[in-house]
Amino acid sequence: MPRKTYDVLIVGSGHSGGMAANVLTSKGISCLMLNAGPVADFERDRVTKAAHELPYRGLGKPGDLEHVFQATEYNANTWVSEKEIPYTHGNQTPYNWVRVRLVGGRSLFWARQSFRLSDYEFKAADHDGVGENWPVSLAEMDPFYSRVERILKVTGRKEGLPQFPDGDFAESQEFPQTEAVKRLTAAAQKQGIAVSRMRSAMGENGLASSINLLLPGALATGKLDIAANAVVREVTLDKNTGLANGVLFVDRHSRQEMEARAKVVVLAAGTLESTRLLLNSKIANSSGLVGRYLFDQQYGCTVVASMPEARDGKAKPGMIGGGVFIPRFRNLDKGAKRNFIRGYALPMGTGSTPDARYFPAYGDELQKKLDSYAGSCIQGGIYGEVLPRFENHARINPGVKDAWGIPVLHVDARYGGNERNMAKDAANTMEELYRDAGFEILVKSDRVHPPGYSIHELGTCRMGKDPRKSVLNEWNRSHDIKNLYVVDGSAFVTGGWQNPTLTILALSMRASEHLADQLRAGEV
Amino acid sequence: MKRRRLLQAIAASPAAAPALLAQGPGSRLGQAGTAPARIATVPAGEAATPAPRFFSPIQLETLRKLAATLMPPLNGNPGAIEAGVPEFLDFLAGSSPAARQKLYRAGLDHLEAEAKRLHAKSFPSLEDGQIDAILKPMLAPWTYDPPADPRKHFLAAARADIRAATLNSREWAAAASSAPSRRRRGGGGTVGLYWLPIDPTRPA
Repeated sequence: MPRKTYDVLIVGSGHSGGMAANVLTSKGISCLMLNAGPVADFERDRVTKAAHELPYRGLGKPGDLEHVFQATEYNANTWVSEKEIPYTHGNQTPYNWVRVRLVGGRSLFWARQSFRLSDYEFKAADHDGVGENWPVSLAEMDPFYSRVERILKVTGRKEGLPQFPDGDFAESQEFPQTEAVKRLTAAAQKQGIAVSRMRSAMGENGLASSINLLLPGALATGKLDIAANAVVREVTLDKNTGLANGVLFVDRHSRQEMEARAKVVVLAAGTLESTRLLLNSKIANSSGLVGRYLFDQQYGCTVVASMPEARDGKAKPGMIGGGVFIPRFRNLDKGAKRNFIRGYALPMGTGSTPDARYFPAYGDELQKKLDSYAGSCIQGGIYGEVLPRFENHARINPGVKDAWGIPVLHVDARYGGNERNMAKDAANTMEELYRDAGFEILVKSDRVHPPGYSIHELGTCRMGKDPRKSVLNEWNRSHDIKNLYVVDGSAFVTGGWQNPTLTILALSMRASEHLADQLRAGEV
Repeated sequence: MKRRRLLQAIAASPAAAPALLAQGPGSRLGQAGTAPARIATVPAGEAATPAPRFFSPIQLETLRKLAATLMPPLNGNPGAIEAGVPEFLDFLAGSSPAARQKLYRAGLDHLEAEAKRLHAKSFPSLEDGQIDAILKPMLAPWTYDPPADPRKHFLAAARADIRAATLNSREWAAAASSAPSRRRRGGGGTVGLYWLPIDPTRPA
């Protein structure tokens, strides 16, 4: 049977795969994109329901998505089933791997917070002597960031802070500051802490996904085929050349084994899925580092306060509401003496109603508390940097296979003293700011969620110039196999506190343009 | 031959089965305008009552008393009892992994044991003040990690589950729709976009 031939085969259809397809097809390069799951239809697949119409009254099917704290009974069918595609971790080392296999991947549901990394991250080792530098700098990434920001329509306020690089922002409305925000800002500035506002991708109609911003353009070129329900099992190599020549995959419905061929293979399945694919294929790992240096960002560390003047329905217009965003402010000076390195950001919102769990009460007493505090609360948490460490890793668990017979991942990751000390500092800082602003502390916790919670897993195929210390070169290309690229978050060397999506997109754009040049020059 | 055996025999015959299942060669089903009228149904919860089967009788009575204490009728809204929460939690816990089952059973048994120890009475028959004396020391505010003490953990979980199951009940929604101001005061009555199963696979 004649088979269609492609220049590039892309595994995964989220932001990174969508960007690769968009760039490559725009340059006339034919692409086949394989995605493990189906296409979601936002009209056909969603219906309006009251919680009482759901089988578990909105509390969720027990035991179904134990690691997906973001899951609700409403959205449960959008996440990867942990029964169908399990993964393992130690009893004492929980890891939350939150996955979406729909076409578009997690780009369908991300929070759209969009921050550039700075040279505090790209050149972190130069700053504090720990870990490795990236093989790229902010200056090299700047033009790619700008183009991605324009695609996503990122809004933000320019600040001129080196740790919080400004971007190519779309115009947005500047909201008047409420009394609560002014007080928080003043309290921070008293400590020399810079305060900004959130930077977010507006996208189109509130969606900033590959399915509406990247894939339609690629499809319009006529150079892209997307095959859904193609569960890739293995990257295949040409026995003579040692180069990648395609993949083996399983049809999700029929379970028929299939093979697809192309001149170049680009992995964009998400950090841990791309890693699993390389490990199951037993390729591209002369460094022994595929799966190593797994990190993410620590989230949690909740401190909640209440503005007394805003209680009991007494909040006047302009008193409370809106948020502040405090970008990293710790360890910006070389040689800063703290019990942790790197830093964290503090997103804070005002005007919320507290969760019942914050009050040690029940019945009428609890309801009166909730009524009294409604709309008066200030809530903040931590976006904290996690150090990449060799021992935090993912490996194949050969004893467990998924529904398609593919061996699963075992994830072994834990936070260390640097993360714990950072979280304590964050909780103490928030408490100080709240008190200084005249707010009443309701609850304070320096506990963070398990690794993986932020859905920002990164680093298991890191980039670098030295093939002994990295899996990919400075163009996201395998050191070992010159026609194999990995363009998702696994390429990260450090992650900072920033939501990684903007950097993933910029890196994928940069790598894809390089790949296009290589194809044009006949180098691959 | 009995009818069921006859049907089995027909179904086992490769030639005969399709003809039987196709509603006859003259069927026009599927053509425009031929679909049968939609049959109206009611939710089972409106036509019948749950039959608890997970908790023991005393555990269920203890849960009823606990639910009534933690979430009584307030502001004209139904309480946990009116919302059928104990019976729902029997279903939820019975469907849950072992850890939640143990948490609930041990927690309810502890309440009963404390009632016997302190007042020589069963928990469901205690006065309000006696119940407060048992529950209040078990309350602890929390954020992400529930309290480490399993008894405090149980009360934190039960309080959250009882509250959510009440606010999300059919009874609460009915009360809220009849008096919208109540809905604002108590929250609840969640309505949202539910994702149906998307192109699901069948088990191998």
